Amino acid sequence: MKQYTDLEYLKLSGPEKFANRFSRFFFGIPRALLKFLKAIGRFFANIGRKIANVFVNIYRTFANGDWKTRVSYFVMGFGNLSRGQILRGLLFLIFQIIFIVYMAVWGWKWLSQMGSLGVMGPEEIYDEVYDTYTTIYHDNSFKILLYSVLTLFFIVGFIVTWYFNIEQNRIAEQIIGSSQRKALRISCKKEIKLLKNEYKTVLKAKEPDPNELAQYKEKENDIKARYQAEIEAVPVKKLKSGKDDMRSLVDDQFHKTLLALPLLGILIFTVMPIIFMILVAFTNYDGAHNGYSNNLFHWVGWDNFNTMLNWQTGNKAYSAAFGEILSWTLMWSVFATFTCYFLGMFVAILINKKGIKLKKLWRTILILTIAIPQFISLLYVSKLFADKGIVLTYLQKWFHVPETFSFYGPNASAWTARITVIVINIWIGIPYLMLMATGILMNIPEDLYESAKIDGANVFQQYVKITLPYIMFITGPYLLTSFIGNMNNFNVIFLLTGGAPTNASASAASGSVGYTDLLITWLFKITTGANSEYYMASVIGILIFVVTAFIAMIVYNVMPSTKNEEDFQ
Amino acid sequence: MSEELNQVVVEQVPVQKPKKEKRHMGIKAKRIISNTFVYILLVIMSIIWLAPFVCIVLQSFRCESTWMTGYIIPKQWGFDNYVRLFTKTKFPRWFLNTTIISIATAALQLIIILCMSYTLSRLRFKGRKALMNAMLVLGLFPGILGMIILYRILADLHLTQQNAIPGLILVYTASSGMGYYVSKGFFDTLPKSLDEAARVDGANRAQVLFKVILPLSKPIIIYTLLTSFMGPWGDFVFARYVSFGHSDGMNVAVGLQNMLGSAASINANYTTFCAGGVIVAIPITILFMCLQKYYVEGVTGGAVKG
Amino acid sequence: MARVKLTNVKKIYQGNVTAVHDFNLDIADKEFIVFVGPSGCGKSTTLRMVAGLEDISEGTVEIDGEVVNDLQPKDRHISMVFQNYALYPHLTVFENMAFPLRLLRHPKMSNDEIYRRVTEAAEVLGITQFLNRKPKALSGGQRQRVAIGRAMVKNCKVFLMDEPLSNLDAKLRNQMRAEIILLRKKINTTFIYVTHDQTEAMTLGDRIVIMKDGFIMQVGSPSQVFDKPDNLFVAEFIGAPKMNIAKTNLVKEGGKYYVTPFGSKILVDGEKGAELKKRGYESQEIILGFRPEHTVLSNKAEGACHATITVNEMMGSELHLHVVTDDGSPVIIRVPTIQLTDKEREEMVAGKEIYFTFEGKVMHFFNPETEVSLFYDAPAPVEEKPE
Repeated sequence: MKQYTDLEYLKLSGPEKFANRFSRFFFGIPRALLKFLKAIGRFFANIGRKIANVFVNIYRTFANGDWKTRVSYFVMGFGNLSRGQILRGLLFLIFQIIFIVYMAVWGWKWLSQMGSLGVMGPEEIYDEVYDTYTTIYHDNSFKILLYSVLTLFFIVGFIVTWYFNIEQNRIAEQIIGSSQRKALRISCKKEIKLLKNEYKTVLKAKEPDPNELAQYKEKENDIKARYQAEIEAVPVKKLKSGKDDMRSLVDDQFHKTLLALPLLGILIFTVMPIIFMILVAFTNYDGAHNGYSNNLFHWVGWDNFNTMLNWQTGNKAYSAAFGEILSWTLMWSVFATFTCYFLGMFVAILINKKGIKLKKLWRTILILTIAIPQFISLLYVSKLFADKGIVLTYLQKWFHVPETFSFYGPNASAWTARITVIVINIWIGIPYLMLMATGILMNIPEDLYESAKIDGANVFQQYVKITLPYIMFITGPYLLTSFIGNMNNFNVIFLLTGGAPTNASASAASGSVGYTDLLITWLFKITTGANSEYYMASVIGILIFVVTAFIAMIVYNVMPSTKNEEDFQ
Repeated sequence: MSEELNQVVVEQVPVQKPKKEKRHMGIKAKRIISNTFVYILLVIMSIIWLAPFVCIVLQSFRCESTWMTGYIIPKQWGFDNYVRLFTKTKFPRWFLNTTIISIATAALQLIIILCMSYTLSRLRFKGRKALMNAMLVLGLFPGILGMIILYRILADLHLTQQNAIPGLILVYTASSGMGYYVSKGFFDTLPKSLDEAARVDGANRAQVLFKVILPLSKPIIIYTLLTSFMGPWGDFVFARYVSFGHSDGMNVAVGLQNMLGSAASINANYTTFCAGGVIVAIPITILFMCLQKYYVEGVTGGAVKG
Repeated sequence: MARVKLTNVKKIYQGNVTAVHDFNLDIADKEFIVFVGPSGCGKSTTLRMVAGLEDISEGTVEIDGEVVNDLQPKDRHISMVFQNYALYPHLTVFENMAFPLRLLRHPKMSNDEIYRRVTEAAEVLGITQFLNRKPKALSGGQRQRVAIGRAMVKNCKVFLMDEPLSNLDAKLRNQMRAEIILLRKKINTTFIYVTHDQTEAMTLGDRIVIMKDGFIMQVGSPSQVFDKPDNLFVAEFIGAPKMNIAKTNLVKEGGKYYVTPFGSKILVDGEKGAELKKRGYESQEIILGFRPEHTVLSNKAEGACHATITVNEMMGSELHLHVVTDDGSPVIIRVPTIQLTDKEREEMVAGKEIYFTFEGKVMHFFNPETEVSLFYDAPAPVEEKPE
């Protein structure tokens, strides 16, 4: 690729410019990748440095701290309590007690079983009295995994709190000045030591010269007096009281108050499930190994990923199905995103055209699709286009469409079904895009058009040169989120076709794969299917994440509008 | 040089005059043609967009059969389907369930989203950027993935099946903090000096929020309430999972979807489903249409902010 | 009513961008101090650090003898007027002005007292008839008054104003400026006023702090900074049109000192010449500054500078002639209109060649390297403490 300076670039003709930009985009991908890897490297280096700092800090605080600080290493909150910060101290102490009790009573039990995920499954025991078999349940793999993850969360939380407790001591010592005073005292001693060294001969002499001795004494007193003055000059500030703490929670620490609840929710209901499911991908947790009532499940390492991805040794049904579904998912996302985007914009421009009346009416008609819950409209439309549905019936009656034709019935061809889904999705997506584009159109400053008119642009040129670039620029980030949203567009596919028609070539894989199945609906089918192969669902989930993250990263690094945010403002 | 220029101008003027008039006429005619074309397009589109809804309403009044038919206009009109919906199915229960869930979810989500977006938009603290990035990465994991474990946790808390309502409310609201983007975009547009003025005037940050920012946030509050109210009406993945076949714990989406679950069920319940769809759609649509303005603001604002 | 003292105040943003370097200033009680400088010089940042809206990276800010570094803005007893007024759009003018009073605790202010104070302030500012309106329904000037009123009602120790007039049109700005002078007499407290407009600074301030790139360039009364600029920056910044600058040499001829800008030869005032010689600048290159108002049109004579007019700005009472000298330096000459006949005035068009000279008494001299004034013993402006 030829590199141009700015001025050289300006001299190029239109197609050359386009070619240059096009190639720059694709040549940009490896650079973006490299940049991303570098960023990751820097990220981890940063974290490493921070962790190292933490250890240094822990050591230094202990070495330089007073006894209250040192006790706090073992009894959390002791420093706070002994310095009069009762509220903070009590909170720390209570937290530590809870942690110790929890670990002693439950925590260690879960953690010790985490490696095996349980050794003894349910067993049937013959009951002689009633002459029946009763089942006795022992270990529960699911619970073991779940609670050991929770326990790990708790341990991490405890370590963070413990470090926080130590930091509190360090900061407190600085505020009340004891650390500065201690440092002064140490350097005072050092200086006296040096002085003593200087007068070694005098001091060690059996009969010291009284003059020299007096000189030494004077110097020593000087040093002591100087340091004493400095020590007294160290400012002693008051520590925050419990009342101050409470007050700062609605002021400079207000973010803590506000974020506590939302973040707790996210931690328990988003982060924890994700970590759990990542772990499940490395087990054989499924309907037949539910960890409790039939068989225990256990760790299987990378086996599941091997089954899913390896063409040589793995299960070919899975890898074939995965390849097919992934490529369709990507195709679907591209088409679903861009068709809706451009057509929605087109409709918005139509409605906003000068001289068109009843704008509000047209808009409202379209908005109906947003207002009515999707499950109703999608389910109903899916039945409209189904075999024996109204649309097909009329097509057969009026246009003599062959009886065998079907949109997405069991016998439909793969591509008919896929195109139908994309078209119906346009029906769903246009109103939303239309709304958005309308809002943006109204925000385009009128003077841009006025100056374009004066410069001699006709209506069409105004659209191409002003409206389109403006909208494209502003909605650039939206395109990315919309693309990722479409990759995981469960509702449209599941409610419309449920994945139909069945893909016979991939049916050996779990979950009766169909031609319109996305990864996300496949995942759902696997979990709710006959075998409930949760581990495979987890593998798919992780792979979805990898793919979306990869795409997001590249687009984000290459897309211009994330860089020059101010261009149109 | 300047003489030449004058000449050119003088020459051009008479030539341009008649041409201009002609073009003017052309513009008018062209506009009429293009507008007619646009109107035709818009009418066709309106038909396409309205047709399914017209069909569903018509079919909900069909009495002669309950299965899918190849025609639209009923041969026999009546309220049979609605009567069946309310007497033979648990639809009233589902409707009530969904209403309770929606109201609770709307209220709780509003609080959580406002907390989150206000903090990330207007307060500056250590780790803010990192938090937002973490949120972005978390958002890339498919939400359905966590379903199994959430179900098990809810089951342990006895919040599934017939107790699905609190369970669903918990699931819907707990991680709603992730959806702070639109709301944050709104807060970003309020001038920062308002906060500063209030703080100089003697307000602490909580007072800034309650006395200055919240009174100005009516549009985004309504937008958040509206979207989070509408969410539970359409959700059906989690609802189906959590209610787990127990008809008392279902919401309308799961209940109605079950009517179309199998071929036999479709034959028996197709028109009833249509009636249910109409009943659900009417209040939601009316609500939405009333608050349309705020929804549009939210959508466009959110898009502009990315 | 309080003394404000800034000691070694620094503002360092993330990524080690230093916005304010080592700011030291002692503001006396009831003084009106103006921070002035080009945009990005750190004047607003300094003000915001006093207000508590920015963290202070280093150093201390004292208000009334109390270090306020760790205090929230609400606890600093300050009032502030913002550039964009920052009126609360959802509250009426009355409620806007009552806002700070309603937030008072220990003791809580009674409704009557709030009413009394707000109406009193509204009376002073002439906005009584708008009290029941929302800010949206007010014009720019009226909003400005409301903003000032809101800051006035509270008994504050320091009154801060951050470019309060820059959103107003020129005429209104002049009017409000006069009103601020009047207002100051009524409120009688310590004022810190930030502006980028040197006219505002000159007319309002008891003392002016001129800043550039986070450094204080000079602190002094308006006449001090105008007559005795410490450095080239201050000399050019204060005064409009700005001071003319030329590189020149100090020449001694027949016991008298001359400067020779643009091929001319102009007598330096005796004392100044001697002073310069004493400081060792004889026959060295120095920077000469002279103000446009001290230039005089002259005939072709020995020592006069020859120049060509490029632009003629007719200001009404005076004429600003932008000219280019023979060596290509731009110079601005200010000629009172009254000194010219109508014919002469008409002749002053682009391309006309003229001669001018300037007063030897009011010349300024600067060191070409440090740009510090050669007369007024000022500390070097750019001086960073070794870390």
